[in-house]
Amino acid sequence: MKTNQKKAWLFLAPTIIFVTLFSIYPILRAFGMSFQSGSLIDLTWTGFNNYKYIFSDPDFWLALKNTLLYAVISVPVGLAISIMLAWIIFDKVKHQSLFETTFFMPYVTSTIAIGIVFRYIFNGDYGMLNFLLRNLHMPAPDWIDDPAMSLTTIIIFGIWSSLAFNIVILMGALRNIDPNYYTIADMYGASGKDKFWRITMPQLVPTIAFLLTMNIIGAFKIYTSVYALFNGQAGVGNSGTTAVFYIYNKFQTVGTPGVAMAATVVLFLIILFATFLQRKMMKKIGEN
Amino acid sequence: MKLSKKLATAFAVCLALAGTAACSNGEKSSSSSSSSSAKITKVKKNTNIVFWHGMTGVQQDTLKELTKEFEKDNPKIKVKLENQGQYSDLQAKINSTLQSPNNLPTITQAYPDWLHTAAKNKMLVDMTPYINSKEVGWGSSEASDIKTALLDGAKIEGTQYGIPFNKSIETLTYNADLFKKYGIKKAPTTMEELKKDAQTIYEKSNHKVVGAGFDSLSNYYTLGMKNEGVNFSSKIDFAGSTSKKVINYYADGIKAGYFRVAGSEHYLSGPFANQKVAMFIGTSAGEGFVKQGVGDKFTYDVAPRPGKYTMSQGTDIYMFSHASAEQKSAAFMYIKFLVSKASQLKWANATGYIPVNNAAADSAEYKDNKKIKLPAKLEDAMTNLYSVPVVKNAGAAYGQLNPIMQNILAAAQKKQNVNNAINSGKSKFDAAWKQ
Repeated sequence: MKTNQKKAWLFLAPTIIFVTLFSIYPILRAFGMSFQSGSLIDLTWTGFNNYKYIFSDPDFWLALKNTLLYAVISVPVGLAISIMLAWIIFDKVKHQSLFETTFFMPYVTSTIAIGIVFRYIFNGDYGMLNFLLRNLHMPAPDWIDDPAMSLTTIIIFGIWSSLAFNIVILMGALRNIDPNYYTIADMYGASGKDKFWRITMPQLVPTIAFLLTMNIIGAFKIYTSVYALFNGQAGVGNSGTTAVFYIYNKFQTVGTPGVAMAATVVLFLIILFATFLQRKMMKKIGEN
Repeated sequence: MKLSKKLATAFAVCLALAGTAACSNGEKSSSSSSSSSAKITKVKKNTNIVFWHGMTGVQQDTLKELTKEFEKDNPKIKVKLENQGQYSDLQAKINSTLQSPNNLPTITQAYPDWLHTAAKNKMLVDMTPYINSKEVGWGSSEASDIKTALLDGAKIEGTQYGIPFNKSIETLTYNADLFKKYGIKKAPTTMEELKKDAQTIYEKSNHKVVGAGFDSLSNYYTLGMKNEGVNFSSKIDFAGSTSKKVINYYADGIKAGYFRVAGSEHYLSGPFANQKVAMFIGTSAGEGFVKQGVGDKFTYDVAPRPGKYTMSQGTDIYMFSHASAEQKSAAFMYIKFLVSKASQLKWANATGYIPVNNAAADSAEYKDNKKIKLPAKLEDAMTNLYSVPVVKNAGAAYGQLNPIMQNILAAAQKKQNVNNAINSGKSKFDAAWKQ
C-alpha cells in the first residue's frame, strides 16, 4: 500500500507542480499584492489602503454594478434562448447539422472581429439596426455613443455570442436522451408541451447546470467584447466599464497593481460566492 | 519501478530548470545595474538594438525607411523595430516588462510620465553624457539644435532621460470651402470667435453641418483651464466656477447643436472628411489622415489652435539601462540620426509631426512644403506650448478627464442639466489624483 502511495505522488507531480506554479501561486501573489502600493518594481506594504481606495472609487462600484447586471441578465436570457433554439432545431428542423454548424460559427470567430462588425451594425447614424428600427417606426437609440445605452448594447452582444457554445452543448445533451421515453409518452398520448417539460427539461438539468456555471463565470470575466464594441474604451465616458476592465486599467495603464489586485480579490470572492450559491441551487433542483 | 525513476528524473530536471532560470535572472539583473555607469564606447563590433514604438500607417513606413538609411550608413548596427500597438498598449507593455528588465528593449518611445517609477529605480539611462560626448553625441545640448522647450519636456525630475522625437501640437483644421460658402473670412483665433463661427455655420447650413468639435477632451479641459490661468494639478477644483465655465462653454454648444464630440470613433477627421463638421481641433500628426480622407472633395486648411495655449504632445525616446555599453552607444547614434535635420525633414513632411530640430523647422524645404498645410502655420501655432506636468498620478488624472468629460457632454447632448455629471466627475477626478 505504502509504495503505491509514493508512486501516486510521482504521477501527480507534473500536475501539482503546474497547478501550484500557475494557479495557486498567482492567487496567493495577487492576495499579497492587494496589500501593497507602488509600481510593480517597487512595492511597499500599505495595509488595507487599496481596499479603502476601491470601495470609495465610484468607477469601481460602476464596474461591479455593470458586471453583476450583465451576469444576471445576459446569462439566463441567453440560456433560455439557447434552449429554445436547440429544441426547435432538434425537434422541428430538417438538416440539423447545417443549422448546428451555422449556429456554432460565431464561436470559432474572433470576438474582436465580431465586435467590430457589431460596432457598425449598432452605429447610431448609419447602422443597420437603426435603419431597420426607423423603417419600423420604432425609436432608434444611439447604441454606441450614448452612455445610457452602453450596458444594454453589451448585454445584447453578450446574449448573441453566448448562443453558439450553448446550442452545441445542448444539442449533444438532447441527442443523449433515450428516444424510448418519447415513444412511450406518445403511446400514452402526451402533448408536445408535456413531453418538453416532463421529459426533456429534467433530462437537461445537469447540462444546464454546467452551462450556467460556465456562463456565469464567463460573464464575470467579460472584457474582450466591451473592448471591441467600443473601440478600445469601456464605452463613452467609461459607462460600460466592467470589473476586468477596471483591473486591467489600474494594473497596466495607471500603474497601480495593488489597487488592481484588491479589485481582483473582491471579484474572486464574488465569483466564488456566486458559484457556491448556484451549485446549492442546482443541487436542490436536481433533488426535486 | 522504471517509470517512477523516469518521472523522478523528469521532476528533478524540471526543478533544475526552474532553478537555473531564477539564478540567471538574478545574475543578469545585477550586472545590468553596474553597466549603467559604464563609459561611453565606440561601436566596434556588430551590435543589435531593439526599438519599441507605436507608429502606424505612413508614420511606421517612414520610420522603417529612416531606419534602413541608418543601417546603410552604419553597417555594424542592426535596429529591430517592434510595433507594440496603440500608445496605451505600448504603455501597458512597458509597465509589465519593467519587472523583468532583461526583456526590455534597448530604446522605446514613451511619454515621460509613463517612466516616472523606472527613472526613480535607476532603470533609465541619463542621456546627458551621451549628448555631451563628442564621439557619439553632439558635444553639447546646444550643438544638438533640438528645440530647448522640447528637450526640457523630455526630462524626468530634472534629468535628461529622453530625446524628443515625434512631437505634435494641437491645431485647428477647417473646411475652407464651407467657410467661404457661409461668409467666414478667416479662421477663428479666440474661443469666442470659434463659438461664433461654429454657430454661424450650424445656422446657415440649416443644422446640417455642425460647427466644431475637439478630438481630445482631456486636452480641451486642460488647455481651457490653462487659458484661464489655472495649471494642471491636484489643486484643481473640478466643480469650481472656473472649471464650470470651461465645461459649460462646450456643453452649451452641444446643447445648442453647434459643437459635437468624436465619441467612440475617437477622431473627428472622419466626420470632417464627410463634411458633417466644418472644423475640429486635433493633433497635427493627424494631418496625413485628414488629407487622405478629404481627397479632392474640398479644400481644407490648418490654423493655430484658438486661445492662447496649445498642447505639446507626442513621445520622446528613452533608453533602458540594462543594455551593454556598445548597444547604448549604437542606440544613441540611431537617436541622433532620427533627430538630425535630414531625418526630421523627411519625417515631418511625411507625417505632420513637427520637426524637433531648429534647422529642419526653419528650412525652406519644410516651410515651402505644399503637400501638407501645417508647415506654413507652424511658427504661429507654436508660440505658447503647454504639456501635462510629470508628477505622480498626473497622467492618470489627465486620462480620467476624457471619460469624465464624455459623461458630462453626453448629458448635454440629451439636454439635461450637467451639474450632476460635473459633481460625479469631481469625485472621479479627485480619486485619480489620490491612488
